[in-house]
Amino acid sequence: MSTAVALKPTQRLTGFMPLIALAALVAALTIADPDFLTQRSLIAVARTAAPLIVLAAGATLVVLCGGIDLSIAALASLSTVFLALWLPDLGGLATPAVILVAATIGAVQGVAHVLLRIPSFIVTLGGMSILSAVALVVSGAGTVRVVDDSTVRWLDLYLAGYVPMSAAMAIIVVALIAVVLKVTPLRSWISATGYSESAARLAGTPVDLVKIGAFCVSGACAGLAAVMLVSRQFSGGPTMADNLLLPAVAAIVVGGTAITGGHGSVWRSLAGALVVTLLRVGLPIVGVPSAYEQILYGAIIVVAVALTLDRSKVSTVK
Amino acid sequence: MSVPALEVRGLVKHYPGVKALDGVDLVVQQNEVLGLAGENGAGKSTLLKALVGLVAPDAGSIYVRGEPVRLRSVVDAANHGIGMVFQEQSLVPNLTAAENIVLGSEGPAVRRGVYRWEVMRRLAQEQLDKIGSPIDPLARTDSLSFADRQMVEIAKVLRIEERTQHPPVVILDEPTSVLESKEIDTLFAQIRRLREFATVIFVSHRLDEVLDVCDRVSVLRGGQSVGEVATAGAVPRELHRMMIGSTGSDDHYHENAAATVGSEQPRLSVRGLSGTTFQDISFDVAPGEIVSIVGVHGSGREDVCRALFGAEPTTAGEIRMDGKKIDLPSTRAACAAGIGYVPAERKLEGMVGAMSVAENMTLAKQQARCAGPFVAPKKQATLVDSWIRRLSIRTPGRDTAIQRLSGGNQQKVVLARWLVAGDIRLLLLDHPTRGLDIGARSEVYRLMRELAATGVATVLLADSLEEAIGMADRILVMNDGRVATEVACPNGAKPSPLDLVKEMV
Amino acid sequence: MTVTSEVVNAPRRQSRRGASFRDAGPPVALIVIFLIFAALSPQFRSTDNVQNIVDAAAVLAVVTCGITFVLMMGSIDLSAAGVMGACALTVSLLVANNRNDNDFGLLGIAVAVLLGCAFGCVSGLALVLLKVPSFMATLGMSAVGLGVATLMFAGVQPNISDTMVKGLAIERFLGFSYLTWIAAVCILVGWLIQRYTRLGRYAFAIGGAEEVLLLSGVKVNPYKVAVFALAGAFYGLGGVMVTSQLGAGLVQAGDGYDFSAITAAVVGGTLLTGGRGGILHSAVGVMLVMVLTNGLVQIGVSPYWQGGVEGLIVVAAVAAAVIPQRRRNQVVK
Repeated sequence: MSTAVALKPTQRLTGFMPLIALAALVAALTIADPDFLTQRSLIAVARTAAPLIVLAAGATLVVLCGGIDLSIAALASLSTVFLALWLPDLGGLATPAVILVAATIGAVQGVAHVLLRIPSFIVTLGGMSILSAVALVVSGAGTVRVVDDSTVRWLDLYLAGYVPMSAAMAIIVVALIAVVLKVTPLRSWISATGYSESAARLAGTPVDLVKIGAFCVSGACAGLAAVMLVSRQFSGGPTMADNLLLPAVAAIVVGGTAITGGHGSVWRSLAGALVVTLLRVGLPIVGVPSAYEQILYGAIIVVAVALTLDRSKVSTVK
Repeated sequence: MSVPALEVRGLVKHYPGVKALDGVDLVVQQNEVLGLAGENGAGKSTLLKALVGLVAPDAGSIYVRGEPVRLRSVVDAANHGIGMVFQEQSLVPNLTAAENIVLGSEGPAVRRGVYRWEVMRRLAQEQLDKIGSPIDPLARTDSLSFADRQMVEIAKVLRIEERTQHPPVVILDEPTSVLESKEIDTLFAQIRRLREFATVIFVSHRLDEVLDVCDRVSVLRGGQSVGEVATAGAVPRELHRMMIGSTGSDDHYHENAAATVGSEQPRLSVRGLSGTTFQDISFDVAPGEIVSIVGVHGSGREDVCRALFGAEPTTAGEIRMDGKKIDLPSTRAACAAGIGYVPAERKLEGMVGAMSVAENMTLAKQQARCAGPFVAPKKQATLVDSWIRRLSIRTPGRDTAIQRLSGGNQQKVVLARWLVAGDIRLLLLDHPTRGLDIGARSEVYRLMRELAATGVATVLLADSLEEAIGMADRILVMNDGRVATEVACPNGAKPSPLDLVKEMV
Repeated sequence: MTVTSEVVNAPRRQSRRGASFRDAGPPVALIVIFLIFAALSPQFRSTDNVQNIVDAAAVLAVVTCGITFVLMMGSIDLSAAGVMGACALTVSLLVANNRNDNDFGLLGIAVAVLLGCAFGCVSGLALVLLKVPSFMATLGMSAVGLGVATLMFAGVQPNISDTMVKGLAIERFLGFSYLTWIAAVCILVGWLIQRYTRLGRYAFAIGGAEEVLLLSGVKVNPYKVAVFALAGAFYGLGGVMVTSQLGAGLVQAGDGYDFSAITAAVVGGTLLTGGRGGILHSAVGVMLVMVLTNGLVQIGVSPYWQGGVEGLIVVAAVAAAVIPQRRRNQVVK
């Protein structure tokens, strides 16, 4: 992509940051535990990473437009509840129905952001709270067990015997988003909106539609991530995906997508999601209590944002 | 004569692509009111910023009472006794007037981080008393009128007296541009009072005011000092000639290439257009015609231009393109109607700096590089390269980020954005030559002529009156949000700038 | 030149009118909502319940005091939940408890508050030194706080036996619990800071026009860090108060308080863009949120909806504040 030309030296370094981190992590984990590079643990990593990759990929679009979507995890939780509740009645149709509903909820937040001119983090923070409440009420604040999971079990199968289907799906989603962006004017529109919204608008870019679209895709991805979670856990729960918010945000910023908008890609978020998952899986291997996981996420987010943000745009940071 | 309060020698400041200051000299005597006059882009604001430490000059020196100084910040300048009342007011709106007056140097008004409101009120009152202003120091700043806030600013600037033993230098940057005539009279009374104990530099684009209140006027043009005139007995016409200078090169505006204006149906027809800052605007632009709208800051011309591009809401009136009534709810609708807009703030609104020349050039007219819904890389390459050649845009390649180009080449890319699809019917150019050097300006003018020759109608908000007269076939003078008059501006019978100025103010 | 001065005056007149509306709006809304619930539900208007509402508002009021200063600057703070969790565990392990032999009493509380202060300090430093936007920096700090809390929790819940700490939530003075009086003192202190200290006034001014402060030679960065540190101290105290209520230190001590506090502050009339509102506004906002959530429960709405109601009112309140100043072509991120 031509945006690569605009890279400043620091950005060029951060461009490789996720790959370097990924390689370093794999190397470190292999040294700490020679059994790490085995088929079994790699498959486990891929399966754990899949929902995170999908969540992060969707939210990356919103970040590329210069906004943020903090509701993805709550939306995914709500979607697991919906899926678990609807599977008995809708069967195979439950999956597309859930993704459609999630996409609609995402779009509604986008419309609220664009029409009411409310900052995206407030809309989605409010959305997060509302969606969690709905999930609690709909589920009766308990886990909804799935009795007949025949229609979502395919996601828990293995492609060619080795590749987890959910991981394959996640990669397909990332590739699909990336290709659509690359071959259509959408990439230009999203980048222009993220880099300089007023310039984009004054060049006739449909800024409002682009943003709503980004939120819509982000919602749909949260729905798909929910399907993956249900297929693994055979149940839905009102807080099932809530602990994925920080890892997803961390995945985006570790990938090198700038929180200021414009610069970044979904491929970067894929790499970021793998880094985050490896950390999660790897901490117990090297003997660090999992409580450090949270601390690490927090530190990673702050450091990665600091490294990637476009300093020319932030004269006064609030 | 005593040592000058302030002296500037050979000040130079480069910005990428332009020389904002090109060896300016300035002498300000103690207790005098010096006027600073010059057109937009003459270097006035850069000079003022250098005097208060906001801009570091590349060369030259500044002397305060004979001592060479280097001013690093506003505070630094204040310590040397120089303070400025900024054009866009620099008060914190949600603090009290007293807090604003003592801001940054509270002294005894704040002890160990704790406010002593009574002391603060007294300190502020002392400053306000100096200029005899009746404002309540504890009033919230945003509850004061504009003129009152200006008094607060002057009171704030006068606090620099406490930092030096010498009389302060007070700079007033365009202080009258948003005042009513009665308020202006009050301000002038203040300036005369200030002269008793301070030195004043007064900047205004209104020559009558400069001549009224100043002892001496220094004129800037193209970043250089072009002369000084004692105001006693000076004539506005003479000053104006100094500001504008000769038209320079023979055919700077490519007047020979002026298109013949179509006389058939007007391309753009505006009737009774009203918005928040303009009322009842009506005018026509014929195909191939260049119409320039002139007016002072606040005349509403920029908003009219943006309204025609759907970027500013309108409350009444209608817009017709080639006889067909159009609605402009968004910029996208305007694009679809064949209208193009080049914003004044190129770096913020005109281009997306981090994106490539190719992407910037095709941003508005995606269909020009697409086959169906998909981007066709080959089509894009051919298209962009052909426009790079046609407009002789100097760039390492089409994939270079536009922010790495010079200002003139950036502007050509922004202009090309509207041409690539070949469907442009009306171009709205808001200060298209702002910040460009002479050569780049000339190329933009040539481009405008070529476009007019193909029948494109143009609305131009020129950078200077000279440019408006040079380029336009017809000039619309706006004043107070209304069209004051329309002046024909044909080749060979161009109106004089002074005729236009009379209508503008 | 008349029109141009009108242009300049127009928005100002509007904002002044808007300000008075904003200042009067929340208290009026509070009274109206209170009367509506009182009419609908006899339990709601009972003295016991009113006392309940006020007591239940104590922790939120303290947390909101902290967040209000941050919002006044135009920044935001999402770290309350994490900081409260860490401070709750800290205090429960420092006063008499079942996990160790510590019995530091008041000193333990002071350490917890200082820890909150340190967390805020780090958020502020990330903002001014690394230029990380505050919502990101504080989101990160929240995670760090929860992690620290989890480490200290170490799988065994520390139950406190310190009678003083436990008594804060139980014992009453003039009909209200000690926690409520602590909250009242916090509001008073917050108001004094806001009105009479340079820190408070500059926080207000930073939200109004930061660039003017810089132009006047004020170094704003130390004040920004100090404001976040002050907010952190309030969260720390909030964590202590929750511990007193629960009788135990829990990682989730601050769950939901971050968002409820933002809701309360915004509903009270503090603008997210900064420069408007204050502690007293926020106090009204806290009561509004508490009356609303309590009232809904009293008339039979599931308590699970509480977060949803808060989400709706925060969006509505922000939209109501933003709509009058809407412009076409405005950039909203």
